[in-house]
Amino acid sequence: MSRLWLCFVVVFPIFVGFFAPFVYRKWRDYFRIYLGLSVLLNSIIVWGLLFYRPETGITLFHFTGNLTIAFELDGLGCVFAGLVSFLWPLATLYSFEYMTKEEHEDIFFLFYTMTYGVTLGIALADNFLTMYCFYELLTLVTVPLVMHTLTREAILASRKYLCYSIGGAAFAFIGMIFIILYGTTTEFVLGGVLEPGKIGGKEHILLLVYIFTFLGFGVKAAVCPFNSWLPQAGVAPTPVTALLHAVAVVKSGAFAAMRVTYYSFGTEFLRGSFAQHFLMVIVMFTILYGCSMALKETHLKRRLAYSTISNLSYILFGVVIMTPLGLGAALTHMVCHAFMKICSFFCAGAIMHQTGRHYIYELEGFARKMPKVFAIFTISAVALMGAPGLCGFISKWNLAAAALDSGNLLELFGIGCLLGSALLTAMYMLTIVVRGYFPREGFDYDRIADVKDPNWRMLVPLTIFAVAMFLLGIYSQPFVDLFLRVAQGSF
Amino acid sequence: MNHILLFPILFPIVAGIMLLTIIKYQNRKPLLVFVGTVLGVNALWGVFAMCRVSEGVTVFYLTKSLPIYFKVDTLGRLFASLMVLVWLLGGFFSFEYMKHEKNEQRFYGFYLILYGVLFGLDFSGNLITMYLFYEFMTLTALPLVLHTQTKEAVMAGLKYLFYSFAGAYMALFGVFFMGKYAKTLEFTPGGVIDPAVLRENETLFLVVALLMIVGFSVKAGMFPMHAWLTAAHPAAPGPASAVLSGIIVKGGILALIRVVFEIIGPDFIRGSWVQRLWMALSLLTVLLGSLLAFREPVLKKRLAYSTVSQLSYILFGLSLFDRQAMTGSLLHIAAHVFIKVALFLTAAAVIYMTGCKRVEELRGVGKGMPVTMWCYTIVSLGLVGIPPTSGFISKWYLAAGALHTGIPVFSWLGPVILLISALLTAGYLLPVSMEGFFPGKEYDAERFQGKEPPLLMRVPLMIFAGFTLALGLFPNVLTNILSAVADFLM
Amino acid sequence: MEIVLNFPCLSILLAMFSAIISSALNRKWARYLNTFVVAAVGILSAAVLWLTITANQSFIYKMGHFPAPFGNEIRFGPLEAGMALFFAVIMLLSLNGGREKIRMEIDPGKEKLYYIMINLLLSSLLALVYTNDIFTAYVFVEINTISACGMIVITEHGRTIEAATRYMIMSLLGSGLFLIGICILYDMTGHLLMEYLYTSISNLMAAGTYRIPMMVAIALIVVGLAIKSALFPFHAWLPDAYGYSTVSSAAMLSSLVSKGYIFLLIKLIYRVIGFEVFYGSRIINVLFVFGLAGMIMGSVSAIRENDIRRMISYSSVAQIGYIYMGFGLGTAAGMVASVFHILSHGATKSLLFVAAVGLTDASGGHKEFDELTGAAYRNKLAGAAFLVGALSMVGIPLFSGFISKLLFAQSAIQSQGKALPALIVLAVSTVLNAIYFMKTVIRIYTPTDKEYEVTAFGYKISYAITLGCFILLNLLLGLFSQPITNWITQGLTILQ
Repeated sequence: MSRLWLCFVVVFPIFVGFFAPFVYRKWRDYFRIYLGLSVLLNSIIVWGLLFYRPETGITLFHFTGNLTIAFELDGLGCVFAGLVSFLWPLATLYSFEYMTKEEHEDIFFLFYTMTYGVTLGIALADNFLTMYCFYELLTLVTVPLVMHTLTREAILASRKYLCYSIGGAAFAFIGMIFIILYGTTTEFVLGGVLEPGKIGGKEHILLLVYIFTFLGFGVKAAVCPFNSWLPQAGVAPTPVTALLHAVAVVKSGAFAAMRVTYYSFGTEFLRGSFAQHFLMVIVMFTILYGCSMALKETHLKRRLAYSTISNLSYILFGVVIMTPLGLGAALTHMVCHAFMKICSFFCAGAIMHQTGRHYIYELEGFARKMPKVFAIFTISAVALMGAPGLCGFISKWNLAAAALDSGNLLELFGIGCLLGSALLTAMYMLTIVVRGYFPREGFDYDRIADVKDPNWRMLVPLTIFAVAMFLLGIYSQPFVDLFLRVAQGSF
Repeated sequence: MNHILLFPILFPIVAGIMLLTIIKYQNRKPLLVFVGTVLGVNALWGVFAMCRVSEGVTVFYLTKSLPIYFKVDTLGRLFASLMVLVWLLGGFFSFEYMKHEKNEQRFYGFYLILYGVLFGLDFSGNLITMYLFYEFMTLTALPLVLHTQTKEAVMAGLKYLFYSFAGAYMALFGVFFMGKYAKTLEFTPGGVIDPAVLRENETLFLVVALLMIVGFSVKAGMFPMHAWLTAAHPAAPGPASAVLSGIIVKGGILALIRVVFEIIGPDFIRGSWVQRLWMALSLLTVLLGSLLAFREPVLKKRLAYSTVSQLSYILFGLSLFDRQAMTGSLLHIAAHVFIKVALFLTAAAVIYMTGCKRVEELRGVGKGMPVTMWCYTIVSLGLVGIPPTSGFISKWYLAAGALHTGIPVFSWLGPVILLISALLTAGYLLPVSMEGFFPGKEYDAERFQGKEPPLLMRVPLMIFAGFTLALGLFPNVLTNILSAVADFLM
Repeated sequence: MEIVLNFPCLSILLAMFSAIISSALNRKWARYLNTFVVAAVGILSAAVLWLTITANQSFIYKMGHFPAPFGNEIRFGPLEAGMALFFAVIMLLSLNGGREKIRMEIDPGKEKLYYIMINLLLSSLLALVYTNDIFTAYVFVEINTISACGMIVITEHGRTIEAATRYMIMSLLGSGLFLIGICILYDMTGHLLMEYLYTSISNLMAAGTYRIPMMVAIALIVVGLAIKSALFPFHAWLPDAYGYSTVSSAAMLSSLVSKGYIFLLIKLIYRVIGFEVFYGSRIINVLFVFGLAGMIMGSVSAIRENDIRRMISYSSVAQIGYIYMGFGLGTAAGMVASVFHILSHGATKSLLFVAAVGLTDASGGHKEFDELTGAAYRNKLAGAAFLVGALSMVGIPLFSGFISKLLFAQSAIQSQGKALPALIVLAVSTVLNAIYFMKTVIRIYTPTDKEYEVTAFGYKISYAITLGCFILLNLLLGLFSQPITNWITQGLTILQ
């Protein structure tokens, strides 16, 4: 396909979003059709691009010096763009139903759809500057979504989110500058772009800068100690928490970390350095920290948010292994976790939407009244635990295989952390399931007489996600191969 | 043709899921017919399949190098046939017992699913398939544990779950390792790892082996991870505790045998500190279980502690890495299945008929329920190890094997502890029979008058008691097979 | 072409004479005249800029055609002309944006005086930019101070009088130090014209004599100008002066007055002291440290502030810290970054001040954050403009602030040993900026049920146009920075 489409898929949703309030005001009856079709169209074009990739990238304009805003679709971008564009139409369908009970539908969809374009911008970015720009933009367009409900809580959460994200970007900025000056180019090249002649004697500073950059982007991926925005941002409407705070936004952080590690600084330079060890310890700590906090939390969405923190660090763990296998495993978990987490969040959202219950102790006996939602929730819980046969196991297996392959002692501890976290995951997810299916003896079902399964708009995405989790779990070979090829640069 | 192996795995799972979701029975009768049919058909098919098929079946690949692969070998046959027997009889028993519980349909749904999952576990031909079914066994057994939904049962269920997963994940650590270093994950006697690789990373592999042993032993209730067992088994409804204590825990043992003898290889562990630690832990558990059982007043809990202790007999036998001891272990597996299921079914029958749960309430129970109590007494004698019951044979082999190995300290300490434990076993099981049949004067005779359980309950009990005796009287058939298995594994 | 060479001198004189003429006019005509003069100066400067860039050299204009070393000279290259143009544009926009407030806040009888001050300010700024003679520079520094005081005090509340007094004291202290520095230089070299000073100083340095007096002189000049431009420890006068004066004054004080001194300092560094001598001295380390401290402390004070105007003022302290940090890096690239930041900060800060006044007026004149809740809905344009200004200050790509950040960071890496502290402080300062600006943005975009009296102010066409121009200027600096940095580099080279 023509490379102009690369530009189109980024800009089109932004425009669609921009005109959403206008359409809402004038032709309210067609509002959903307008949005749904636009988003679907964009996704179709993205998938078209994936299969018929343009040979070269496209440069939009020169910023200053040799810095350009440019798009190109490489392997890593393919994975992220494909993932995002698969999930977005489904999430939009879900939000149509969810937003019937919230106010300011138009404003919500304005930013929600714009975020689609911006996220694709990150996926398609050809160089560091473009990615950085869209990364900052992503922060800005998602803030209104976090503060959507306009409660005091939401305002505080959005303020925190904003400050954390921009602050993180400020540190990532340092990395960008170093790449501009010490790299042969700012474009992303697998294996890194650092110019060997220039870095002589400056290795330590560069490693330090790498840590800054990684943690800076890690803020979006909620790496400890910069994670407290994520559970707080759970006040946003569920489609936001599900799609953005489990997939698009947080995975942008992880994606950026991959870019920095594998495509800018280069693993040759980083492997075995103190930076790698330091980050690995942080990531391992986050894995366990997220899980333990999730266990403590009684608010359903916040618990899932903490779970996200821990799972994101699985991805980052794969990233800091710094081998092609590690990147492949990280990508695997990125995709698998996307399905698992969006699914469990959507279930939580369905529960909130149908009943207004937010806390886990209020969910007693719900499984009988919402059998479909709870069945799917159970599947996602089991998948998150990493039971074989569902997708969570595949990514854990790959992560562990990558860690073992690198033969670093610290990485053995990493596997330990993964397993410890799996146990904690079992605890915090299955207690919800058990409570839903097995209310205490003599539970009065009349008390939850109003509870029932949501309509097809919510169930269709949920079912698709459940099926996807299952398929990825038992037939993962083509995907894993693809990710490995991406990681080796042969895709 | 080989794919008929899949039928006994999938059929009950599908039937169980249907029972949970689609089919809604208003009356008990059609439900029981349905469950009975599935149980029966599947048992026949399962037996047929495992007799006819001896080649492996690869179903599909989870991911590269992780095939889902089934293969039936003698070990699998042993476990599967025990399981089928218990599942059938336990099922029939529960037809009567479950009358006084709620949510029957759910119970049978999971009972059937678990049936299929256990077939899968027994038929697994490689590590990853086994691990898959192992995890699902844990998960699908959970609803049986917390079936009554009392606060106690739910807490016990969660405890069961978390202990099991802790163990499973320890084992998974090892599975990851094997995935990296093993040539194949298919079960091969003598292990699948290149001895050169093993020697190179000896410490690492020993730690991994320990983790896997401890991890899978969680299911078998080995100290220090035994606490779940005594909480979960008594909390479940009667038939469920019987199958849990009889069969599910054996899942852990099967996994352990597979991993130690067919993945890591016995030669690597033999003589290492891991073996000594394993022996020490199992002996400690034998003693500890018996002691705790001895001072436990609630019958079902007492039986659960007894399970802890008896399973560690098996573990101890395995840890010796001796042909004879191995035979003893395998024999004890069979013996313990019949005995413990029978014991729990007795307890269930007593609870069902009279509501008595504590040991001291059972004075004079033999007067009212003689058949039940006779069965109880026979199998108790079996567990203590008094000839001519099956327990005697297995313990004989265990003790002989231990003495035969000549490992310092353990070769004589083991038999001594087994003996002490046998005495304790007698001490905690037989008084129930004695007081049941000879209550003295001051007891409530009315209470047990004519409380003999119905036929559906009595028959399974009598069959199990019969097996216990039969094994003791004609041990040679089984011993020959099992020592062949032991030879094969060593 | 020849005629363009007269334009710099002409614009200075134009501004000065219009000040004198204004005193004879009524307030309406004074306003017209002022607008005309500022616009005219802009046009003239644009012409000069075009000339100097195409000629790629600087020109010297001898006042009254007396030859050096006795005569007074004006010297203009691309950088000077561009600065003059920029000052004129910002002044025009700031005045236009705050026109209504001037009318409301200033006693009608005194409005004329205000325009006189503005004209004087313009002429002094132009003189600071163009002059080639340090004593002339001093004279206009004083004129600048006086007119700035007048601009602060003109609204006549207690707070502004106090602020003006403070400003006056600090400023005079600065000018005093500056004057002493000049005296010492004169004493050592016997020259006041920059070329001759430069030659003598390089000779002295080469000979190795008068090292200590030279350092003292440089230090005095730098510190004097630093006080006047509110570098961190000398910033105490600033928040009051910016926070309570009328909005045009605040915008001009922050974007023009302090920048005029900074530009003078740049000129002195390049043309009098000499780039190498300056960077050879330890002064730059002091500037670097104070710059960094200013970046942090200014922002910290801004976070604690509960008054939007004062918050923006404190933010200026931080931004001036950036500029001095650029000086302190000791590289040509750092200088380019600083000059770019003068432009970007000038454009952004005046935008913020003008937008803030729209927001406060839509909230019944309250400047506290509690009252500003939802102000962006009451005055949509001001809200959007504030958003743009805030994003630029935080350094979001597409806006001018990002480019300055980029340039600062790039130049920081090239400097020896200062890279990491500079970069880390830059990052931290960005975080702090984000904290207080984004807090404000979220605050003004949070709807409230509270009703406020609707003022017509926010809907004036001229106000809207001003904001639009400011936003455009910001985007221009952010998106097409390449020609601008080229021009700055060229200008700095020619300046030498």
